[in-house]
Amino acid sequence: MKSSLALRTWAILWKDLLIELRTKQSFSAMVFFAALVLFLFGFAVGPDTATLSRLGGGLLWIAIAFTGMLSLGRTFQSEEVAGGLDGLRMYPGEIRAIYLGKLLANFSMLVVLEVVLVPVAAVLLQLEPWGRFPLFVGITLLGTFGFSVIGTFYASLTQHLRARELMLPLLLFPALVPVFLGAVNGTTLALAGDPLDRIGGWIRLLISFDIIFFVVCVWIYPIVLEE
Amino acid sequence: MFLVPADALQGDVQRLMYVHVPAAWLAMLSFFVVFVMSVLYLIQRDPKWDLVAVSAAEVGIVFTALTLVLGSLWGKPTWGVWWTWDPRLTTTAIMLMIYVGYLLVRSFADDPEKRARWSAIIGIVGFVDVPIVYLSVLWWRTLHQPPSSPRSMAGEFVYVLLLNLAAFTLLYVYLMLRRYRLAIAERHVEELRLTRDDGRIT
Amino acid sequence: MNDRSAPAVRLDTVSKRLGWTWALRAIQLRVDRGSSVAVIGPNGAGKTTLLRVLATLLKPTSGTGAVLGIPLRDGAEAIRARVGLLSSRGHLYGDLSALENLRFAAWMGGVSVDEARLRAALAKVGLDQVSEQRAREFSSGMQKRLAFATLLMRRLDLVLLDEPYANLDSDGIRMVDDFVDEWRAGGGTVLLATHRRGLAVRKADRVAVLQAGCLHRYCRPEELEPADLDPQAEPATPPVLPAG
Repeated sequence: MKSSLALRTWAILWKDLLIELRTKQSFSAMVFFAALVLFLFGFAVGPDTATLSRLGGGLLWIAIAFTGMLSLGRTFQSEEVAGGLDGLRMYPGEIRAIYLGKLLANFSMLVVLEVVLVPVAAVLLQLEPWGRFPLFVGITLLGTFGFSVIGTFYASLTQHLRARELMLPLLLFPALVPVFLGAVNGTTLALAGDPLDRIGGWIRLLISFDIIFFVVCVWIYPIVLEE
Repeated sequence: MFLVPADALQGDVQRLMYVHVPAAWLAMLSFFVVFVMSVLYLIQRDPKWDLVAVSAAEVGIVFTALTLVLGSLWGKPTWGVWWTWDPRLTTTAIMLMIYVGYLLVRSFADDPEKRARWSAIIGIVGFVDVPIVYLSVLWWRTLHQPPSSPRSMAGEFVYVLLLNLAAFTLLYVYLMLRRYRLAIAERHVEELRLTRDDGRIT
Repeated sequence: MNDRSAPAVRLDTVSKRLGWTWALRAIQLRVDRGSSVAVIGPNGAGKTTLLRVLATLLKPTSGTGAVLGIPLRDGAEAIRARVGLLSSRGHLYGDLSALENLRFAAWMGGVSVDEARLRAALAKVGLDQVSEQRAREFSSGMQKRLAFATLLMRRLDLVLLDEPYANLDSDGIRMVDDFVDEWRAGGGTVLLATHRRGLAVRKADRVAVLQAGCLHRYCRPEELEPADLDPQAEPATPPVLPAG
């Protein structure tokens, strides 16, 4: 009479992605916003291609982070509209499936965004990821996963808080610092070359962060939803 | 701070260290207290742990701000810059943000149980975050060859530092006790104010 | 763990505090299996809170209880496998079709997602013609029927309905009544909370009257006093509440 954790996680992931596919509203907004950020940075930094190229990794991740923060706020909106989380909580089975499903949904949407954004950034900022492409992809995925792990967690926590639009970025930022540093530096090294082979350290940092926070957030999640 | 003769190399500014270091130490201690209290609260659900936690957060945020301001004031004449992205200083600034987040969440939650529970979660996740932040900033800085902050001190200076540390720790404990008593009183007021309308509460 | 001889619901001086107010005070309740209970009372009396406690969405502040013989405190998961809650908002996803909503509910509820079964469930509530239509395009009556379909699919022993008559016309009301009848015919227990007292008491074996969180009276419909249906009434003697 009870679904497995994997099935419930899949169900929530499927539902969220299907809703997003149907409405398309937030994904197109995300793409436009991210492109806007990249353009603005391009204008702010100036047309010198050497500078742009050097800063490219950082600028790309700023665009991803800001866009990600916007889309996180909506993670639980579809539940509010459907009558609150009670509906999901009423089903038997591990309640962490809600967190896992939403986490994977956020992750997937961000990855799709990146697939669109990276070529745009490559053009605007003169980036060349082709040289060490697997490394570049790996770092991007690790960073995106870390972002999704804490982002989904804090999105759930702040869902019922007043001034949610303020609190989510405020709470998220301190936890985001290691991911951001890891992703930016790792990306820059992957793009520009890594004579001293420093990228290993960043990769280890990202992996540790992802594992530690994944475990902590998954473990502590039921307490967030208690009443 | 006023007993010690001016440091040979850095002059009077060095005296700031006698406050900066204890303040930093107590700020971190307070953060640890918030963490422990958060865990205790989530396990036992006893409101008193939550009250200790908020006391530690408020006292801690004061010491953290003090640490940052003094660090900045010390940095300007010493290194010529107000801010250096030094790993310890940067991590302290981020710790301040976590404290602020903790207190803001409390101010935005009306239900005392939710307030205690959510801030406990932030206290725990925040505490897990700080070492990772420190390591990541440290790694970042080692790639860019930073100036290192001087840590060694001559004998008599250490003695004064420890004296200051003891004095500040006593101050900390005193402030914590006062804040805790205030927190208990606040809770009573809250309880009375919100149940006064309903005469049937026994 | 599902003890067949145990009552459907047993609450022993259960109180629930929300914030600083007591939403439920020292509730003593026993509901027999297979019966239908109407929970009536004005808005804010605690009807929704009571249902949510029984659904294990809320944990009691004090007191003990058991649903279908399973203790509230430790058996939340087991309870949720056999209890369904239908709140007035319905928990439907407007952007998904009727069929997709059912499929989601089946996945989450541990029911087989065989396409034929889903369509049969839709047919049962008369929605098979519109199975591919988005739920947001449905009328409130149709949405209610879809919500009932999600409950019917699962094998539930206890169904909690919160304000099921909201926004319904007489056809819709009849549909709710039919659903309650069918549920009881299958041996299930129903608790129905509503502030529309006239509707509720027709179908009930017993009526529980809530006022300001207290269980004012629990009796058969014919034993109700006119004052029980009065929104301004206050409970006779206040119960003793736990300290703190």
